[in-house]
Amino acid sequence: MIINRIEFQHRAQIDQQTLDVWLEEQWLLPGETMTDLEFSEIDLARAVFIVDLKDRLGINDEGVGVILHLVDQMHGLRRMLGLIMPAPKAS
Amino acid sequence: MKDPYDTLGVSRTATSDDIRKAYRKLAKKLHPDLNPGNTQAEERFKEVSSANEILSDPEKRKRFDSGEIDASGAERPRQPYYKDYAAGGAGANPYESRSGFSDFAGADDIFAEMFGRQGRQSRNQRGQDLSYTLSVDFLDAINGARKRISLPDGGDLDLMVPAGIEDGKVLRLRGKGAPGSGQGGPGDALVSIAIDPHAFFIRKGDDILLNLPVTIGEAVLGGRVKLPTPSGAVMVTIPKGSNTGSVMRLRGKGAPRGGGHGDQLVTLRVMAPTKSDSALESFLASWTPGSDYDPRKDMLS
Repeated sequence: MIINRIEFQHRAQIDQQTLDVWLEEQWLLPGETMTDLEFSEIDLARAVFIVDLKDRLGINDEGVGVILHLVDQMHGLRRMLGLIMPAPKAS
Repeated sequence: MKDPYDTLGVSRTATSDDIRKAYRKLAKKLHPDLNPGNTQAEERFKEVSSANEILSDPEKRKRFDSGEIDASGAERPRQPYYKDYAAGGAGANPYESRSGFSDFAGADDIFAEMFGRQGRQSRNQRGQDLSYTLSVDFLDAINGARKRISLPDGGDLDLMVPAGIEDGKVLRLRGKGAPGSGQGGPGDALVSIAIDPHAFFIRKGDDILLNLPVTIGEAVLGGRVKLPTPSGAVMVTIPKGSNTGSVMRLRGKGAPRGGGHGDQLVTLRVMAPTKSDSALESFLASWTPGSDYDPRKDMLS
């Protein structure tokens, strides 16, 4: 499902300025049309994760960038491992 | 339901600062997005968050302490975790990075096709190049062929293998890679050619080598024999007095080279009969070779 910028800010509970910073940092990579941004559910879940990191866990901006980079690598590795090993049990 | 003070590991007299610190310490360890695949961590995180919901709110904490509410039901429903999307089907996660194993030998070739969109892509970025390996029959590599690669996503990739292509060459198909994001165009498909060995042809540069078994008679007396070339069988004349190791050059029967072709080099191997042949045996028993017939004379001089 495609989520526009306004709805995304509302559902992720972030303001425009915050979203602009996250886009600048490339923490989020939505699609783009001539007039708006196109977010998906994975972008939203990632934004909620970033909110968690900052608000619940007290991570600062530098730390968030590092964590996202490592988490992205971890998912790449998990997928690779999934390709060469039996699927994990459904959780 | 566990006591929220026990869950967070704080005393009943803990300050709000103590509670916040204790919660953060546990949450950093247990957050499900930092522990994908670890369901225990997720359960523990729920407990810890639930305890924090009560104890971090002075009003709720007071009501809990006085027994007005219990420890259950405090956790707010939330969005699915990022990990639940990040582990989706191939190509579903544009953030996923392969940099964690890009140094593994062959990782590019083997895994490229399994990842739809890879790595971090900025907006308006050209799509990734995708690498494939195509096994090509020896003769197809010499003569050229049209090939079709079946992609993991169900699509096909048609390509023309040019005549005379060499092993390990990479063909670039423009625009056949992963789609770009935003205004960025698609990447290219890079198809690495792996040529299968042939049962009796060997390629050396543009030339084709062939070991050709001949009979004793064909070697000694000469004769016309049929032999295979990459472009089909041909008749050749074995010169009288040929031997094992004699080389015949068939011009233009090799791999394509510039406007022409390389050659086929045919090395003869004289084969004695594999089954006993009484006529040959009786002839050899009565035959007296000339005095200069000593194939080992260079070894023992």
